[in-house]
Amino acid sequence: MKKLILISLLVAGSLYAGIFDSREKRGVAPATDEFYIKECASCHFAYQPGLLPERSWVKLMGNLKDHFETDASLEREDNKKILKYLVDNSAEKFTNYKRSKKINKSIRSDEAPIAVTDTRYFIKEHRGIRKDLITQKEVKSLANCKACHTTAEKGLYGERDINIPNYGRWDD
Amino acid sequence: MKVFIFTIFLSLSVFAQSGVVNSYLKTLNLEVLKEEPAFSGFDAKRGEVIFTSKHIGKKAKEISCVSCHGNDLSKKGENFFTGKVIEPLSPTTNIERLSNLKDMKKWLRRNFMDVYNREGTAKEKGDVVTYIMSK
Repeated sequence: MKKLILISLLVAGSLYAGIFDSREKRGVAPATDEFYIKECASCHFAYQPGLLPERSWVKLMGNLKDHFETDASLEREDNKKILKYLVDNSAEKFTNYKRSKKINKSIRSDEAPIAVTDTRYFIKEHRGIRKDLITQKEVKSLANCKACHTTAEKGLYGERDINIPNYGRWDD
Repeated sequence: MKVFIFTIFLSLSVFAQSGVVNSYLKTLNLEVLKEEPAFSGFDAKRGEVIFTSKHIGKKAKEISCVSCHGNDLSKKGENFFTGKVIEPLSPTTNIERLSNLKDMKKWLRRNFMDVYNREGTAKEKGDVVTYIMSK
């Protein structure tokens, strides 16, 4: 009897967790892998794996010797380790996150952009921002998420958390 | 007592750090000797020139190591292209620097490509490491 109660509790619990999980979440899942953060975020923002689909990560990690015109090459085994993390957590696996879902939907199946800034959803969301606000030294480029999205490291890119240097809050 | 333990810890880590970098320099030195039998050792002055001189890098823009690491190696730098903060390069200020062989080789390989658009020679690598150690 005890066993039966326990099993029912477990089943109910997992059903409840399932319902809870299927609710759409804000942003993208945060980047948590320490090795990924150490290796990739020493040069740039730790882009969350959920910002691009698997095929994009595979393509990007296949050419680190020429990574946005920079040499970001890694030892083979380290490359494999990071690629696994990116692929395991790529956008199409996290469609319960609003931004992952929207980015993924905006990419055609025959495309594999290696920059989130090249995806249609990203371009649409960032049009209308004055060019000089993007190129100013505090920002440098649209790839510098953290410069304006104050909660980017948590995977949250909502409008209420935007603060553009020398401009302030952003209202569409 | 705490201070005592801390001092021991600090000197042990400095010791470990210099162990790694010194054995790497020895390896580089042997490599240079193969090409240049009269080689008399690495030189921080030559390293400084390598570190501070400007070159057309991989991005076809004129940069130097200073573009990202700054002139004062005891201070933080900033990636010239992405704006990401770079922790100080000086092993005196930043104990993590020059403490891991794999990381050292990785950055020397990548950064010579980025600034010089070619691999660094063993002599250049040894000189620049010697320069960083002197800061």
